[in-house]
Amino acid sequence: MIEAVTGQFRSSFVFSLRLSFVSAILGLVIGAAVAVALMRLSDVRGLRNVVVGYSAVAANMGGIPLAFAFLAAFGMQGLATRLLNGINIDLIGWGFRISDFWGIVLVYLYFQIPLMTLVIVPALDGLRKTWLEGAQSLGASTRQYWRFVALPILTPALLGGFLLLVANAFAAYATAFALSAGGSRLVPVQIRFFLQGETITGKTNLGYALAAWMVIITAFLVLGFQILSRRAERWRR
Amino acid sequence: MVLFVVFVYYLVPMISMTRFAFQRIPVIKLSLGNLFDKWTIAPLIETFKEPEFRSSGLLSVQLAIATAALTLVLLVPTMAVAHLRSKRMRRIIELSSTLPFVVPAIALVVGFAGAFRETLPILIRSPFGLVPLYVITALPFTHRAIENGLAALDLRTLVDASQSLGATWYRTVVFVIVPNIRASIATAAFLALTVVLGEFTIASLLLKNTLPLYLSYAQGRNPQGAFAVGLVLILISTIFVASSNRLGKVVRT
Repeated sequence: MIEAVTGQFRSSFVFSLRLSFVSAILGLVIGAAVAVALMRLSDVRGLRNVVVGYSAVAANMGGIPLAFAFLAAFGMQGLATRLLNGINIDLIGWGFRISDFWGIVLVYLYFQIPLMTLVIVPALDGLRKTWLEGAQSLGASTRQYWRFVALPILTPALLGGFLLLVANAFAAYATAFALSAGGSRLVPVQIRFFLQGETITGKTNLGYALAAWMVIITAFLVLGFQILSRRAERWRR
Repeated sequence: MVLFVVFVYYLVPMISMTRFAFQRIPVIKLSLGNLFDKWTIAPLIETFKEPEFRSSGLLSVQLAIATAALTLVLLVPTMAVAHLRSKRMRRIIELSSTLPFVVPAIALVVGFAGAFRETLPILIRSPFGLVPLYVITALPFTHRAIENGLAALDLRTLVDASQSLGATWYRTVVFVIVPNIRASIATAAFLALTVVLGEFTIASLLLKNTLPLYLSYAQGRNPQGAFAVGLVLILISTIFVASSNRLGKVVRT
């Protein structure tokens, strides 16, 4: 157990967790922005259904096909890479690689953003119109309303969604595996290495220990999510 | 504005993938002039003819159907009983159905292999040993679907009525409960199918040749075909999820 969180494995965990947190924070901000934009545009009929419907699809996507899609778009020979090059944005020249940290973040956002949108839309629905009217009748600006009324009410939902996103990214495996052709430093990919190479390395135990640590970490995240979502529901009655 | 940017971000990878799979021109040579040349679905057709593709595709479909069937056979009667008998049982089921969120697939398979390699090696060796694992992985989705269906019913009255007419528990489940929650059952089945068709982690660690594994191997050998099949997989899961969404709405109203 101890060996699994020291030395090279510590850097694996750090890399995995950093990736999860960064992609979760970006997913949180963008996903919430999408949800708010949806609320604003609620007169456009059908828009909401399309976005929420596609979010459900995209949030479940992940896996190998998603990695393929991004390789085709942002890989060395990708279409988007080429197009951006046409307007003098040289991604590859800047050192961007789809299998590197920011590349994986970019791919993970594909399922993180819609997941956040799905979590936040019900919470935004829970904001009553009367609260906005109440705040306005007391002389609050729209900004003050969001800052002092809406945001505090939404905080548990936002935080809960954030933890869910972290856990989601932390457990993801297939996408990163396909992006990097198996050479990734992510913890899950490391576990695979130990389990399949057991006859050579004789360190299967290490694989089990890594897996145990993963469970411990996600257990804490999900527990936090449960507590926060219970709090988020309090205002919805 | 935000919506537009996100929309482009959602769209670009899909378009790139489609182009890569179905147009026989390398990106470097691509220009406005030949944007519409040499589109073909040959990569897909050629891949469909490959024996490796056929065997892994067949396995994936079999696994998907087996998983959906086992899920329903286990879940529907159990959850119906829980709804009738006690709130506590319901909560325990609900809690355990969220376990796959806590235990990442990679950890699940590690534990599974560790537990059964010595005691029940058939589960590791046979590809259908994946089925119980897939039932567990799909549980958060399938449970939710069935739960919504059952919660919308007046189950107690239905069961009492059926039993007062002399039906056994088996007949009650099959002829009374199942028809009443058929929308939820279809939803759960669709979601289970989607999960199994896309699952990579578990199959790859137990070295079973399912469709996603085929994709990952074919990536180097036959990238166009692999990307084409990947696109088809995305399309299928989109249809499944979309139809389960629609059915979910039928349940709620």
